Amino acid sequence: MTTEPAPGTAAPMPPSAPAHEPETAHEPEAAILLSHAARWYGNVVAVNDVSFSLGPGVTGLLGPNGAGKTTLLHMLAGFLAPSAGEVRVLGRSPNRDPSVYRQIGLVPEREAVYPFLTGLDYVKFNARLQGMPDADRAAREAIARVGLEDAMDRQIGTYSKGMRQRVKVAGSLVHNPQVLLLDEPFNGMDPRQRIAMMDLLGELAEAGRTILFSSHILEEVEQVGTEILVMVAGRLAASGDFRAIRALMTDRPHTIAIRSSDDRKLATTLMGDPAVFAVELTKTGLSVQTAQLGVFRRLVARTSRDAGVRLLEVVSSDESLESVFDYLVGR
Amino acid sequence: MGSIAAMPEIARVTLRQLLGRRRTLLLVLLSTLPVLLALAFRVAGETEIERFSRRIFDTISMTILLPLVAILFGSGAFGAEIDDGTIVYLLAKPVPRWVVVASKALSAIAIAILLTGGSTALAGFIDMVPAGGDGVLATEAQVLAMVVGSACYVSLFLALSLFTRRALVIGIGYMLVWEGALSLMLPGIANLSIRQYSLGAATAIYNLPLQETRLSAETAFLLAGVLVVASLAIATWRLMRFELPGGSD
Repeated sequence: MTTEPAPGTAAPMPPSAPAHEPETAHEPEAAILLSHAARWYGNVVAVNDVSFSLGPGVTGLLGPNGAGKTTLLHMLAGFLAPSAGEVRVLGRSPNRDPSVYRQIGLVPEREAVYPFLTGLDYVKFNARLQGMPDADRAAREAIARVGLEDAMDRQIGTYSKGMRQRVKVAGSLVHNPQVLLLDEPFNGMDPRQRIAMMDLLGELAEAGRTILFSSHILEEVEQVGTEILVMVAGRLAASGDFRAIRALMTDRPHTIAIRSSDDRKLATTLMGDPAVFAVELTKTGLSVQTAQLGVFRRLVARTSRDAGVRLLEVVSSDESLESVFDYLVGR
Repeated sequence: MGSIAAMPEIARVTLRQLLGRRRTLLLVLLSTLPVLLALAFRVAGETEIERFSRRIFDTISMTILLPLVAILFGSGAFGAEIDDGTIVYLLAKPVPRWVVVASKALSAIAIAILLTGGSTALAGFIDMVPAGGDGVLATEAQVLAMVVGSACYVSLFLALSLFTRRALVIGIGYMLVWEGALSLMLPGIANLSIRQYSLGAATAIYNLPLQETRLSAETAFLLAGVLVVASLAIATWRLMRFELPGGSD
């Protein structure tokens, strides 16, 4: 994966992610290429100056809701023309060229699948529209890959959310596409189904397919993609090896809200410790900033006991994924 | 599989989508109304072409049944898939867009003809055919009007549904205001009235005893053909540029 941070974005680029100009655009092996791609709707910018290229393998597209992940995937799938920049899949512009879908499989985020079709009929429908010579066999094989054989003769309207996701995946890979784009594919799957789907994506990647899937859940991406792209507010905030980005996320400053029997006294004692770099007295108690969460947890317990202060509440106030993303953007 | 071979697949899914909707049941019920009225006329001994044409064919089949059925199926052929998001499964396929449009249009036109033409044929058979040779011709002419009208309404509102989600509302407005009121008051707009294309086409078989038929059969067929071809061409153009929203994300 190669990337280029958007101008004006302080994007952390982990050392393992070589960042260079997308002259890589002209490398023939890049299955997916975005070069300064942007998409806006009126005054709303959904995707802002994003550049990266991907070759075979699994890449996770991580970001909070509203980050522009679906817009980005729809641009790659040819359903949205870029307002600026360039989007290429397998060396071609996917927009307004239906023949490109012979090589692209797409799993959309929306759950709806024709409820009146059986799982097998739905996958066969996809195979026939893809022009597969033996649609029935291709459909049965794709259904077996997602482990849905037992339910393939039932109408999709009776499927659980996880089963619908799996039949969508089966429909998208029935023609053995070179590029697979999946928008929140693990939504609604139980842990066992997730593991099976993750294994399947891994197998496809090993077979040389280029797979890009989106998720707003860190752990999902962690388990599937070693390479990730992090999007925040339409921009590429970080990209590269997952472990490096994970380290950035866990080492970020944390804000802890504390209520105690004597906030002022506790503040004075905490200030003396190097694990703490800011303490503020607030209306309700204390707001403490630390870069070492584990060390701080032990520290606050010991310090309060030694100082004879009773702790009433200790809450980490910025544990949401959004705050993690905000931190990445702000760096 | 050639591109054309995708048509039956798309048509099959479209038919199941359109027929599976609750409103289709209401349309089926509505299409039985002319038949029931024809039965009532027959029982009352009124098997007269003129009376049937004015009271049942013109008042109900032409004015209410045909536009309602064809506008609902026309706007629903793509509209239902756009609303629920399943359109993506059609668009993400290497199938030329004109094939998608033609498959959807043919499906919707077929069921519109089945309901409106079927209803008209049955009602005519009950009430006009007993009147003799002219009764048979009048029934055939009325069925032809339904066929032409179905093709025109479906094509126009199928194309419109790719531009706006309010195609159905616009269609009902067109039916009530344009066809219902303005075309009666302003004879000059006959050239822009699907109702007039349908009635004009019918005169190729039989001159129905309706005063307001304003177009010759030739003109009606020509204008109807232009409308259908232009609508489907615009629909294809639009589908090639159709954009899916970014979604919640």
